[in-house]
Amino acid sequence: AGKAHRLSTEEREQLLPNLRAVGWNELEGRDAIFKEFHFKDFNRAFGFMTRVALQAEKLDHHPEWFNVYNKVHITLSTHECGGLSERDINLASFIEQVAASLS
Amino acid sequence: MVSKLSHLQVELLGALLESGLTKETLIKALSEVEPHGLQSESQRAINALQTEKGEPCPDIPNLHNGMGESRLSEDETSDDGEEFTPPIMKELENLSPEEAAHQKAVVERLLQEDPWRVAKMVKSYLQQHNIPQREVVDTTGLNQSHLSQHLNKGTPMKTQKRAALYTWYVRKQREVAQQFTHAGQGILTEESMGDDLPTKKGRRNRFKWGPASQQILFQAYERQKNPSKEEREALVEECNRAECIQRGVSPSQAQGLGSNLVTEVRVYNWFANRRKEEAFRHKLAMDTFSGPQPTSAPPLAPHNSSSLQPPAALSPTKVHGVRYNQQPASEAESSSSNPHGNSSMVTTQTILHQVSPPGLEPSQNLLTTDTKLVSATGGTLPPVSTLTALHSLEQSPHTLSQQTQNLIMASLPGVMAIGAGETPSLAPAFTNTGASTLVIGLASTQPQSVPVINSMGSSLTTLQPVQFSQQLHPSYQQPLMQQVQSHINQSPFMATMAQIQNSHALYGPKSEVAQYTHTGLLPQTMVITDTANLSALTNLTPTKQAFTPDSESHTESGMHTPVSQAPTIHLQNQDTTIQHLQPGPRLTSSPAVSSSSLVLYQSSDSANSHSQLLPSTHNVIETFISTQMASSTQ
Repeated sequence: AGKAHRLSTEEREQLLPNLRAVGWNELEGRDAIFKEFHFKDFNRAFGFMTRVALQAEKLDHHPEWFNVYNKVHITLSTHECGGLSERDINLASFIEQVAASLS
Repeated sequence: MVSKLSHLQVELLGALLESGLTKETLIKALSEVEPHGLQSESQRAINALQTEKGEPCPDIPNLHNGMGESRLSEDETSDDGEEFTPPIMKELENLSPEEAAHQKAVVERLLQEDPWRVAKMVKSYLQQHNIPQREVVDTTGLNQSHLSQHLNKGTPMKTQKRAALYTWYVRKQREVAQQFTHAGQGILTEESMGDDLPTKKGRRNRFKWGPASQQILFQAYERQKNPSKEEREALVEECNRAECIQRGVSPSQAQGLGSNLVTEVRVYNWFANRRKEEAFRHKLAMDTFSGPQPTSAPPLAPHNSSSLQPPAALSPTKVHGVRYNQQPASEAESSSSNPHGNSSMVTTQTILHQVSPPGLEPSQNLLTTDTKLVSATGGTLPPVSTLTALHSLEQSPHTLSQQTQNLIMASLPGVMAIGAGETPSLAPAFTNTGASTLVIGLASTQPQSVPVINSMGSSLTTLQPVQFSQQLHPSYQQPLMQQVQSHINQSPFMATMAQIQNSHALYGPKSEVAQYTHTGLLPQTMVITDTANLSALTNLTPTKQAFTPDSESHTESGMHTPVSQAPTIHLQNQDTTIQHLQPGPRLTSSPAVSSSSLVLYQSSDSANSHSQLLPSTHNVIETFISTQMASSTQ
């Protein structure tokens, strides 16, 4: 598993812009990032979730997510440090890859 | 297949597969997890999948580091592209039956290829990774000699044994690949034990320097013979990097070198050994009179010359030999009488030279002889490498040499055979080295060289290769010519001597006859035939006299050769250097035949022989010879 320490300001400035560019937003009142995904149908959406789930298990870092039919809302944060950590960044990147391949 | 799945199932399946699940694992899981009832179905599916797997055989020869196993990952189910997660399960597959099947398929393919091609592949792999043959022998149960011959010379090997070899090859590649990727992923292949296949009782393979490393070390040695620890460590890095590169592996994975990993201690020892070697060579130089011996060592030592390095080996001896030859040659040219022996010697040398090579038993003796000779001359035994060089020298012109050898051999035994009555006459001829006609006089007149020769006992050094153009295949001529030129040195001469003594062993189908005839003629003439030999002789360019007519050739070998051969023998360059033998008590120079010209040396009754030789039209060499013998016999 990646490092669980909270990202410093410099690190955020370095890593977050890329995610922001693809649609991830930082939540207010909480040190986390969030994004909504839309898919063609439930199958695709769930296929996406399955892949993410398998990877999450591997990374031992799980997202907070919500799914309704073809939509998936994902929130990433690290419980151990109470905020964003490298693990979140990693998982977010992975999610982006999967989503790109499925879209 | 996909059609029967729901879309979700397809999705999920795709997700599973993309996550790194391989077909194998999936199938196995299916069979394990499936409830009782469905097992039959899953089994069928599994079987179907497994058979399907057998096909995608990667190119066997291109098992880059053995990681080429394609299988898996080809899942068409999901349209999503492949993903990031590299198949972690990949390694585990090695244990699966598929891996075994895969390996077998590879081996099968190799078995169908040309064995020699595959042998070359395996051999180069061994060289590239510096794997000792012993390791292969230990794990395959093959005979080491047989294996070596198969890999180096292409000696045939039965299919079953080759299968064992190829199986080892395939497994080793995989194992080595794993080593280099520090496959610390808990790979449980049957064999890999970290470094290499489980050697007996965990014995590691002996470290061996690779050529790349040696090059680096030699360069460093030239700069400084005594490097400090830091420098040694730097060399360690450099060598390991070079070795990895040679194996096509990233230098960062040097640990994969296993038993051949370079360490400071090894570098330290290497330098120490080189310093010792140099001191020894220096000592040799101080001890010996002649220059060449010590000098021969340096170039040879580093090469650990096996008999497979004729070029390098030849140079030192060649120098020696050349010198050897030149003197007599010059002498021969100058005088007419004395050179008899010299010329003969020279000729012999040349001939011997040709003869010496190859693999006849006599060559063994030759080697010994040569060794002795060298040592006798030099006073100190040259380093092993030098001897090796000599040995290798003798190995070049094999075929031709055989014939020449035979011819030479023809000496004593032949003599006996040829002229029953001549024996007695021959005897004196033999003993009467220089004086007698026998060019063979080698033994007698030869100044330098050859104290050993004398010891050989047989004055029948007549070893002039009597080769009939007919007898010798034309193809021999060219190589021989070249060889002769390069091999002029002592060894052939000695070789000849040795050969004479071992004539029996050397008798070949054709040359045998030649030998006999030759012998018969010994007292009287020496016939040198065949282009190759002639050319060699020519090089020496002693004053030669040679008979042009074809009959001459007959003389030599015609004795026992079928009549038909007689006509075949012909002097090709009759016009050139061949001069008719001139009557006279002795034959002087060796024939200056350029090629394929027979040269007859006539000792005594030159006139006799001459006249008789010429008309040998009757192709009855025997007759001729006998005549010669008779005349010369005294």
